[in-house]
Amino acid sequence: MGDEAKNSSTTTEDVPQLNQDELIMAQQRQIEKEISESIPLVGELESILLLEHEYSNDTVYQEKVRNLSLKYSSIRRTRPDGNCFFRAFSFAYIERLLDKKEEFKAFYQKAEKSKDVLVELGFQQFTVEDFYDTYLDVLKRVGDIENTEEAKAELYTLFNDQGYSDYMVVYLRLLTSGQLQKEKDFYSCFIEGHRTVEDFCHQEVEPMYKESDHIHIIAACAALGTGVRVIYMDRGTGKAVTEHDLPEGCIPSVHLLYRPGHYDILYPV
Amino acid sequence: MSTPARRRLMRDFKRLQEDPPTGVSGAPTDNNIMIWNAVIFGPHDTPFEDGTFKLTIEFTEEYPNKPPAVRFVSHMFHPNVYADGGICLDILQNRWSPTYDVSAILTSIQSLLSDPNPNSPANSMAAQLYKENRREYEKRVKACVEQSFID
Repeated sequence: MGDEAKNSSTTTEDVPQLNQDELIMAQQRQIEKEISESIPLVGELESILLLEHEYSNDTVYQEKVRNLSLKYSSIRRTRPDGNCFFRAFSFAYIERLLDKKEEFKAFYQKAEKSKDVLVELGFQQFTVEDFYDTYLDVLKRVGDIENTEEAKAELYTLFNDQGYSDYMVVYLRLLTSGQLQKEKDFYSCFIEGHRTVEDFCHQEVEPMYKESDHIHIIAACAALGTGVRVIYMDRGTGKAVTEHDLPEGCIPSVHLLYRPGHYDILYPV
Repeated sequence: MSTPARRRLMRDFKRLQEDPPTGVSGAPTDNNIMIWNAVIFGPHDTPFEDGTFKLTIEFTEEYPNKPPAVRFVSHMFHPNVYADGGICLDILQNRWSPTYDVSAILTSIQSLLSDPNPNSPANSMAAQLYKENRREYEKRVKACVEQSFID
């Protein structure tokens, strides 16, 4: 009888369980807010030597910054929000293409066809279209500007507008996911745990704010038909920074500085 | 005032009207496209059958890059629904993808009603009964179904 009464009361089970997910997400939003208020999505061009100030008490890093400055004159920082690789790569590659009108044109034509490729792979036309339209809109807006410097300034403005900037990131994530799924036999060997390529794409590639690994970079490069040089700067021994070209043996069009957990854009001397 | 989020929500709404999935419906509230009301009908051959469960969906300007906050307004007895109506579902948290739309959200919640995940409980009583005393679980769910007619 007593048990009966307990079971039929509707309030007892409602009390103790706090909505943990929402608490965690609220805290995460707070951290993100603090970061977004202090660091722009894509920063201004800065002298590479300014990096030394960041490490005023750290001779290992100072040495490495000096080594870096032999090859690179400037750096452009990106916001560390988990999207930094995609944002940096997308910005730096388009920026570079603006110097080469013919290559830009070829890139634009390839981009125009990319939606059909994704839809064929099984992506939902309705949602892909939304990102695709913005992606092409950005390419068209910067591509239509005759003067290269003005075009670059427009690119900078658009990449600092959250609406455009994030859609550029999403679309590159989708292209990367498409590339992984298209060549899944090859990429499946690089995926840890018992996950299919599709699962990996849904969990680690398509969602915003998920950080990028080698596999993301290789697939993103293949999707856009280019290569990157990643310069690794960490506390490892030696005075020199380490370079990696992805894919191996490529002629890199984009140079990125990797410090544990984060990518910024580098500009060669 | 058109922002990417608002533009996208208009598209979501249009698609939901033109191609409505079975057993779910949703629409923006009269004066605010960022807040929607939705209804999920309890799936057939589950204890939720015949129930009409109301939800609210609140979007931010970061949609679709971030998921909306979805909450049952109707009282629910389900292993993955919190007492305040919040829903513990991976695609609404860390597995959200910008390629999901309102239609996909509602159909995912609908299938959560059919297939609870008692290993990640938001309501431990419901999870325990679901695993150990299915008859009692169904009894409690049916009480929610009846309550949903009145709400």
